[in-house]
Amino acid sequence: MRWRRALVALVLVTLAAAAGAALARSAGDPGRQDPVRAVSAGLRCPACQGESVADSRSPIAVAMRQVVADQLAQGRDPTEIRRWFVQRYGADVLTDPPARGVRLLLWGVPVLTLLAGGYAALRTLRPGAARTGSAAPWTPDARGARRAWRVASVGVVALVASVAIVADRLDPLTRPAPADPVAVALQLAHDLETQQRYDAAAQMYQEALRDRPDDGVRLRLAFALLRAGDGAAAQRTARDVLAREPDSPDGLLVLGLAQRNSRSVEAGDTLRHFLAVAPAHPAAAEIRRLLVTGREPAGR
Amino acid sequence: MRRRPGWLRVGPATVLTLTVAVGALIAFGLRAPATPDPGEATAVAGRPAPALSGATLDGGRFALSDARGQVVLVNVFASWCGPCRDELPLLVDAERSWSPRGVRLVGLNIRDGADAVRALLDETGATGLTVVPDPDGTRAVEWGVRGVPETFVVGRDGRLVDRRQGVVTRQWLEQRVAPLLAG
Repeated sequence: MRWRRALVALVLVTLAAAAGAALARSAGDPGRQDPVRAVSAGLRCPACQGESVADSRSPIAVAMRQVVADQLAQGRDPTEIRRWFVQRYGADVLTDPPARGVRLLLWGVPVLTLLAGGYAALRTLRPGAARTGSAAPWTPDARGARRAWRVASVGVVALVASVAIVADRLDPLTRPAPADPVAVALQLAHDLETQQRYDAAAQMYQEALRDRPDDGVRLRLAFALLRAGDGAAAQRTARDVLAREPDSPDGLLVLGLAQRNSRSVEAGDTLRHFLAVAPAHPAAAEIRRLLVTGREPAGR
Repeated sequence: MRRRPGWLRVGPATVLTLTVAVGALIAFGLRAPATPDPGEATAVAGRPAPALSGATLDGGRFALSDARGQVVLVNVFASWCGPCRDELPLLVDAERSWSPRGVRLVGLNIRDGADAVRALLDETGATGLTVVPDPDGTRAVEWGVRGVPETFVVGRDGRLVDRRQGVVTRQWLEQRVAPLLAG
């Protein structure tokens, strides 16, 4: 039975070491190097859900970090700074509010349960227990009790371990994916277009194109340039696309409209080509009207 | 059957008590709201208003202490905040109609650029607004601001009367500010 004891001792030591390491990691991490981070990690961002001031990127959290830095620079100690925030935001601004009432119970009950369970286990499993109790150590009754305790403890350890593993697996999913700069640029450009700021939109499209050359984006750029009044650049961009894809409806549309604006004689041909390749295009009806009413290029 | 030891007899009672205790705790925890009542945490009525003074956007000076005797609406806003853009015309309108009865509107402009604010004021017809810039947002934190827009009502005695987190409505102004104007 010696090896069994050694095994139990080994498991206990390993568990204790792991728990110690985890505690040290979670408690020691924030801001041994950075006191601003240490203090702001203890403050809850009031504009966010479950984020600390240290982690949040919301403007209010950034301002609160600034206040923490200012006050530390003035020589205030962290407790004073926390009190300053509590006066303005209430006790809930602290990520770790003082345990009182129900909160204290929340910590106390699991600890009491563990202690009671441990005590009961000790009484059952201790070889001496038999002497004061009913069953001899190796009667079927005592063996059954031992087995039940062991199964129960293995079950609890398995439960905790599986929760720990699953929680770790789930965690990355809850983190937002890093924003794709091209997608952000395109969204911004689109917003600028809806605000009719076509110059700025064209710049955003050009920025997006530098990172990701794409004919779809090039066509958006050509439209923005056309609306911004830069017909020459719009024509260049459209021709660039048409060189690769001569029947691109949007390319033909932008080129034709740009040519029409610059009173080029080719405008009619380009727009008729557009109608030939995309008779059901949303702009087709308008272009037909233009071709009928303004037979001479840009006649009006 | 032999007599069982004492602890085994009290065992079931202990387990039952503990189970009931844990159950009660969980039931209590589920019934209580996850976050405390926001009204409780954000009630400001009666507290002295924090200081607010400094250069204004148009080069003048503003000091809240000089506005004693007036009802001051402190609107925390920024040009990057869409809802702020929506509520500014209403606030400017309220100041215009209530200024003879001693209402003053001040904008606390947080983490913003001067040009962007001027553009916002032009767009919303709020060009005359007294704006105190707060480029790093620290003044707003001193006021306990939780987000933009947020509006504080400072009474004639310099104490906070009310606060509104989020967009101000005409109804809120009628209910919370109008009663302060009597007398």
